[in-house]
Formats: sequence, C-alpha cells, structure tokens
Amino acid sequence: MKSNDKRSVRTGDTTHNPSRRSLLKAAGVIAGTGMIGFPAIVTAQSKSITVTCWGGAYEAAIRKAFAEPFAKETGIAVTLVNNADLPRMKVQVESKNVSWDVFDSIGPQIMAGAEQGLWETIDTSIVDTSGLIQQTGADHVGTYSYAGGLGYDPARHPDGKHPTTYAEFWDVEKFPGRRGLRSRISENLEMALLADGVDPKDLYPLDVERGFKALDRIKPAIRKWIETTPETVTLIGSKELDFTYTYLSRVLPARENGMSIAMSMKQTLNSLEYLAVPKHGKNTEAAMKYVAFCLRPDRQAAFCEEVPFAPNSAAALDLLSPEVKARIPDMNDPNAVVINDAWWGKNYDSLQRRFTEWMLT
Amino acid sequence: MMHTLNTRTVVVLLTPLLVLLLAFFLWPLGLVGWTSIYDNGLTFSGYERVASSTLIHRVMGNTLEVSVLATITSLVLGYAIAMHLARMSPRRRGPYLVMVMLPFWTSILVKSFAFTIVLGNAGVVNQFLDWLSGGAWHVEMMFNRVGVIVGMTNYLLPFMVLPILASLQNQNRNLHFAAEIMGAGPVRIFTKITLPLSLPGVFAGCLMCLTLSLGMYITPALLGGRQDMMLANLIDFYTRQTLDWTLASAIAIVLLVFSGLLILMMLRAQNNQEAVR
Repeated sequence: MKSNDKRSVRTGDTTHNPSRRSLLKAAGVIAGTGMIGFPAIVTAQSKSITVTCWGGAYEAAIRKAFAEPFAKETGIAVTLVNNADLPRMKVQVESKNVSWDVFDSIGPQIMAGAEQGLWETIDTSIVDTSGLIQQTGADHVGTYSYAGGLGYDPARHPDGKHPTTYAEFWDVEKFPGRRGLRSRISENLEMALLADGVDPKDLYPLDVERGFKALDRIKPAIRKWIETTPETVTLIGSKELDFTYTYLSRVLPARENGMSIAMSMKQTLNSLEYLAVPKHGKNTEAAMKYVAFCLRPDRQAAFCEEVPFAPNSAAALDLLSPEVKARIPDMNDPNAVVINDAWWGKNYDSLQRRFTEWMLT
Repeated sequence: MMHTLNTRTVVVLLTPLLVLLLAFFLWPLGLVGWTSIYDNGLTFSGYERVASSTLIHRVMGNTLEVSVLATITSLVLGYAIAMHLARMSPRRRGPYLVMVMLPFWTSILVKSFAFTIVLGNAGVVNQFLDWLSGGAWHVEMMFNRVGVIVGMTNYLLPFMVLPILASLQNQNRNLHFAAEIMGAGPVRIFTKITLPLSLPGVFAGCLMCLTLSLGMYITPALLGGRQDMMLANLIDFYTRQTLDWTLASAIAIVLLVFSGLLILMMLRAQNNQEAVR
C-alpha cells in the first residue's frame, strides 16, 4: 500500500522532467489562483482589505481617521462595507470563503463570535495592545467607547426637573414623566443595580436577582421598551417620551440638527467598540496591520475628533482637543462605568431569555 | 379555438417557474428544515426546547391573537372600502385605488413616525381630545395592542381590499335589480346576494392577511408594547443575537406548520361553504 502511494506521488506533477504539459498545467494553476483570490496575488502596492462599518457619520469618520491614512501609509486600500452582521460573518467563516477581513462591531456580536470560535488570535507581534485602557480577550481588541446615559428635552425639563442618575430615573415620584428603556437586558441590568445603590466599582459580576427586583420597580413606569437606537432620540423629539436611555453619539448630532435634546453626563454606561479578524481570511496579515493602525494614539485621537467616541488608547487622551475632552465622559470618574462585555458574553443569552419572559408577564 | 395545451408545451412553459421555486424557495426551506434537526449530528433539541419553553408558547399564543385580530379589523374596514370602490365609476376609482395602495409603498419606519404624530401622546388625536374635553380625555394608542393593530391593519388593507373588490365587481348587477323588484331592502340584498357572492374574495383576503400577519415582525416591534412580541421576533433573536440556528429553524418550521394548518382549515371551511351552496 505504502509503496503504491509513493509511486502515485512521483508520477504526479513533481517529475524532474518538465514537459510542455506540466508547464501548461503550472500556468493554469497560476491563472486559476489569480482568478479566485485576486487580492492575494496582486502586487503589494495595490493590495486591499475589506472592513465592516456602520454607515453615516461613523463611516465618514472611519474613512478620514483610519481607512485613508492607512492606505496612504501602507499602500493597502480599505473597502468599507455597511450593514454587516454576525450571521453572515459566521457563514463566511464556516464555508471558508471570507470576504470581510476585519469585523468592526459592538460587544455582544464580538463576544458571540468569540464563543463560536470565529476570530483569529490577535497577532501581538503586529498589534501592540499594551497601551489600551480596557484590556479584553485574545481574539479581539477594544477600539473606542461610546457613552450611554439619560436623555431629556431641556426645553420641557430644565435642570432639576429631569433625572441625572439612574437612582433619579427610578424615582418616578420626584421626576414624573414618560420613560423609555431599551428592549434588552444588557445596560438595563447595570442601570437597575446602580439605581439600587450598588457601588460602580463593585458592579461586576452583576447581582442578577437584585437587578431584576429593581427592574420590577421601574417596569410599570416604562411607556416604551425601545427597539431601535434612533428611536431613543426621535421619541423625545416627537414628545412621545420624556426620558430615555440613549447615546451621546446620537444626542449630539441630533442637537446639531436643531433638536432640543441633551444627555446627562453625571452617570454613564460606556460600551466598547471592537475589531476582530475572522479565521480563514485571505489577508490576515494586512488585517492585523489595520487593527494595529487603528490602535495608534494619533489615529484614535483623530477619530474621536470626528465623532463623539472616547479613545481606548491611554496615550490618545493627551492628544485630544479641549472641546472633545469636554464632550466625552471622564473615564477616571467611577461613575463612568465600562460595560463588561466578557461577563455578558457568558450570560447574555440566558439573561436575555429571562428578560424577554419578564417583559411578557 | 383550442384551449388545451399538449404535455410538452406545459412542461416547457412551467420549467422556468419550477426552477425558480426550487432554487429560491424549496431549497432554502429544505435547508431551514435540515438546520432544525442537524447540529453536528442529528438532534431534536430544537423541537424539544420549542415544546418545553413557556416563553415560546406564550409568544405563539400572542402571535395567533394579534394575527386574527388584525385580520378581522382589516376585513371590516377592507370590506367597507371595497364596497365603496366597487360603486364608483372606473375613472374615479383610479386615484382611490392608489390611495389604498399607498401604505404598501411606504417604509415602516416612516409610517411608525407618522403614527406617532397622529396617535401619539402629543399627537393630533390626543390634542383634539384634550381641546374637546379640557384635558380630561386621553387615550394611549401607541406602544400597546391598539398601536400594533392599527399599524398592521394599515399594512394589510390592500391585501384585503383588492380580492374583495374583484369579487364584488364580478357580481351580476341584474341579480340586485331582480331582488329590488321583488321588494328586498338594501340590508336583505347585502346579506342574501352581495355578501355570499363575495365570499371567495373574503376568503382570499383573509388567507393573505392571516399568513402575512403570522410572520410580521417590525410593525409590532416598533408600535407595540412589551407584551406584543411575535414569533418572528423570537426567530430573529435566536438567529442574529445568539446564533442558535437549530432553535431558530425549529421555531420557523413550527410557525410554518402552524400557518399551514390554519390555511388548511380556512380552505376546508370555504369548500364546505361552496358545498352548502
């Protein structure tokens, strides 16, 4: 059997005598690879990678702070694709036909992907993660954070008339008004515990039972469990709700467009945005280089000048302009809580199921 | 004139449709069915979890309730609209039909915003009630069952109006005249002639509305309250958020069987109806 195997190998393409036929075959193989994986074999200057994105102002900021400078510096062009979601990423990795080289997403998606083993381990010889404020897992990096907090209309509810902390949001007698929270357990559970008096530094691991008890108290006062992020702002604009849990990255652009809306910065929940590199990618090394580029302090600062995010690179904080420093939460303040996505990665599914049942009863 | 086609022509004419259905309907559906029982080996865990989860049962009951309610309101409103349209001259009917179709062409996000302006807490209706009663009357019409039914009915109406309109227009006017000559009043004409003859349209409309509402997802999520969750929302949750495709497929298949049975029941009712006649 074994000798047979050997013979069949030798009679294959590896004969020492290059015939015209084998040359043609080799040419065919080269042409073939050229057709299948064209970005992989074209010269280094015209290489390109594909990065997922969220569109709108976010995309414009990514282009200006990361994609274009990266292409200029390395010669690797960056294509941004919007509306990328985890199920499609999973299909790509499972079929080993990956067309997105870097996946840019929020904690729950990145953690679910990590759980399913979709991500490549971050190559620390390329990506320097030592200067990051929030250190996360081995197969993803936190890039910058966005602040969530309590939104209100300052025209209808001037200072003193609107809740600034979660404890005040829970106090429906002192701050009457129509309230809106998101229709998911993450963030709500943190808010409930903070409202119940848990010290921010003792928040994790979350006390689930205590949290649900606190949620029971606010449940009758919630007019809408908001499904989509834009509604956290538009429902205040249309006077349908008075106080919502919303995001700074939504409130500030709305205010610039003339809407009367503000967000309390006294107590914020900060969620990280992440980058991960899928397994079986065709441009893994270039993808790692892009991730490293995005973590550079100067790039982080440039990005946070464009959109209301806070950098995850400690050194980037010093490079920010005074205006940006004033609008982002002070991450040294204990009341600026950072959402622990790793904890949620382990608990989200079962708790969201419980939360959904809780909502139905 | 020959109306029969030979078998070969039939096959040739049907092939494109069959290929299309096979590639874009049966194949993906088969895949969903397969995913529901296969996860690194044959498993029935998806169906077991569907059978044992009170959450899924409750949402299933909800879905049925909301769908039937939305279908009934669409039927009542749709029938009235169809009757009105059927009496118009074709020239006048045109613009009115466009108005019937309008919600069909509008994005749900835009519509949900528009509903807030009309039905919301600070909306037109509540402001009017407020003015009328001096602040005593206030009706919550958003983010509860009312909002869901309004939103769904708005979407479903064209599917109800069009088949009923067709069956009303097909009626022989002479029957009405004959009934009138024999002394029947308008109510009697409606119950004895118009309604029975329009039943095929009513059945077709109800069938479409029920099937569509069983799969509805965004409208209830945007306009409903916390208890207005539909089965499609759960499927989305397991597909996109937890990536539990076995369970998601199992729920999808159960929903499919569920709607299949409902449709079967309706078809049977219709057949019985025809047999009686």
